[in-house]
Amino acid sequence: MKKKILCTILSAVMAASLLAGCGNSKEEQTTASAVEETAAEDQEEAPEADAAGGEEAEPETDAAGGGTYALVTKSAGNPFNEKEAEGFQKAVEAIGGTAIIQHPESATADAQITVIQSLISQNVDSICIAANDENALQAALEEAAAAGIKVCSVDSTVNVASRLVHVNQAGVTEIGQCLVDAVYDITGGEGQWAVLSATSQAANQNAWIESMKEIIESDSKYAGLELVEVAYGDDEPQKSTDVTQALLQNYPDLKVICAPTTVGIAAAAKVLQDQNSSVKLTGLGLPSEMAEYIGDDDAHSCPYMFLWNPIDLGRLGAYTSAALVNGDITGAAGEKFTAGDMGEYEIVTAGDGGTEIILGAPFAFTPENIEEWKVVY
Amino acid sequence: MAGKSGRTISAVPQKSFMKTILSWEGILLVLFIGINIFCKCISPVYNFTNVLREMPKYLTEIFLLFPMAYILLMGEIDISVGSTVCLSATVACLVSNAGLPFGIVLLAGLATGTVCGMINGFLAVKFRELPTMIITLGTQIVFRGIAEIALGDGGSVSLVNADGFRMIAGKVGPFPYLFFVVIICAVIFTVIAEKRVYGRSLYAIGSNSRTAFYSGIKVNKVLFTAYAVLGFLAGVSALFLISATYGANTTTGKGFEMDAIAMAVFGGISTAGGKGKLTGAVIAAFTIVCLRVGLGQINMNAQVILIILGLLLICSVLLPNISSALHKTRKKA
Repeated sequence: MKKKILCTILSAVMAASLLAGCGNSKEEQTTASAVEETAAEDQEEAPEADAAGGEEAEPETDAAGGGTYALVTKSAGNPFNEKEAEGFQKAVEAIGGTAIIQHPESATADAQITVIQSLISQNVDSICIAANDENALQAALEEAAAAGIKVCSVDSTVNVASRLVHVNQAGVTEIGQCLVDAVYDITGGEGQWAVLSATSQAANQNAWIESMKEIIESDSKYAGLELVEVAYGDDEPQKSTDVTQALLQNYPDLKVICAPTTVGIAAAAKVLQDQNSSVKLTGLGLPSEMAEYIGDDDAHSCPYMFLWNPIDLGRLGAYTSAALVNGDITGAAGEKFTAGDMGEYEIVTAGDGGTEIILGAPFAFTPENIEEWKVVY
Repeated sequence: MAGKSGRTISAVPQKSFMKTILSWEGILLVLFIGINIFCKCISPVYNFTNVLREMPKYLTEIFLLFPMAYILLMGEIDISVGSTVCLSATVACLVSNAGLPFGIVLLAGLATGTVCGMINGFLAVKFRELPTMIITLGTQIVFRGIAEIALGDGGSVSLVNADGFRMIAGKVGPFPYLFFVVIICAVIFTVIAEKRVYGRSLYAIGSNSRTAFYSGIKVNKVLFTAYAVLGFLAGVSALFLISATYGANTTTGKGFEMDAIAMAVFGGISTAGGKGKLTGAVIAAFTIVCLRVGLGQINMNAQVILIILGLLLICSVLLPNISSALHKTRKKA
């Protein structure tokens, strides 16, 4: 009999706690949804307001920017994504909208599909996504587009059928050229070098690596450079560390590791510096994480590296989303729009046949300027 | 006579309304309704259509739950099933890209899954002294390894022609085809487990495999069949997964095995074998799915959702233990 009573009490408590939680949040939710509804109504009026005000309508002064803009990152705990999200959030606030930042539960396309499905249910105005797989999101993003959601990709692209426009941090060949020149410079023109990448499916990583290979083949100047291996650290610090150690062991004559990923370069920098290795490092890294490894002398593992500003990338992603939602642009090549205080950007044709917006050329972080940048991001 | 739990079991089970409600399945059902009310309260967009639309992604995992529950009922385990899904999806995509007809593509996916399951079953039967945890840990690595080699350098393959898969991702009204397939599977598997000889053998083997053997149950045959069926359904799961991603990559199906085991355990199926009901597992699976959908819709941090699910699982395992411990203390007194 006691067991029955216990069970009854337990289920009663469970049911009560559910109902209690329900009661509390209901009030909050009504206010929240009321706000959202107002925002949605504003949004519906926005295109007319914009059309009347012309393209240069000041975003801060009217409610035209209202609306819900979602950003889906690659994974949680990726500093580059965090900064991108920060910029996105700031820009959305500047235009008076609501930003939803979603980190999938793991760095896979599957987890991103779950997030996209949830965003479709919430009927957001736009989805801006840094894809974990170029093609796997197509079905989910097509569904989003069919529901009237404007889709753009940022940082790592999705395929042409899934997006209206891609916000690219820098042209693929520009990055490839920068990295190859850095490897050429650091090796002194000849020797073995290796690439430490993220996951083997990351579209941006693969495009850069491909471009580096093409540049080396196309110019006899680089004939002395021998790419021994493209290793994948999956953007996990521990795996990147293991892979770096394996590279050092397998190739005793290795001169340079080029890591075009922020997680990989930080892990590799630590390994090289801890082991006092003569192997040098370059690639794409976050200044704040890499500051202690950047230097010209033997005590530092990385002479210089590149990156663009992830905050600006996030902001451009937000302004692009807003322009798509407002109808300022449709994603066709040749269109121009004003990205808040970032100036005017033009949509150009991308290498994959779609269209893209290019943020700018990569920026070099050297021992001279790293102190100034490490506090920024 | 006194049963495993120390309770007295009469020859004919007593049925009463209170008993049904107080069983684990009854509690789960209350929880399922409670969670739906809860989600409806926290999310303004939590409605029938949206839940059904978001569901297919999760339903692909529920497939694996049914045969996984059988295997758990026997006190065995299979942690290779995520890799089986990955390998089946890879093979199906490669066959499809080779330009073969859609029927062959489906067959290839299902056959790959079944063969993987049969390999597991064969090893489990041949080496009874080895824990199936270790056997399937091995095959987990092997299957994913083969898939990664087949996927090649890029680690991902995309369908050149996705028309066939678009078709199976179709819907009847708001219901995706997948939903009906899962429901049909749920009914078949539950009926077999509760009403058929095969089902009774599962419980017998799980309670005591040796006794079951000496009482004339073909333990090896039952075990092998369960693994083969799990493999086959992993193939089915892979096909529906392709219809959502139009391709396969090295992370396809990652973590599916643990999700399926978690759903089963939450549903009251003991990993020690012999205890639990399929109905509980099915209700548990849909409870978890609804909770995930609801929490996702209020943009709760995905990592926090994982923590909540983990805690829920621990509570569900602890609850029967606490109540039986209390029960024992009372008996002693």
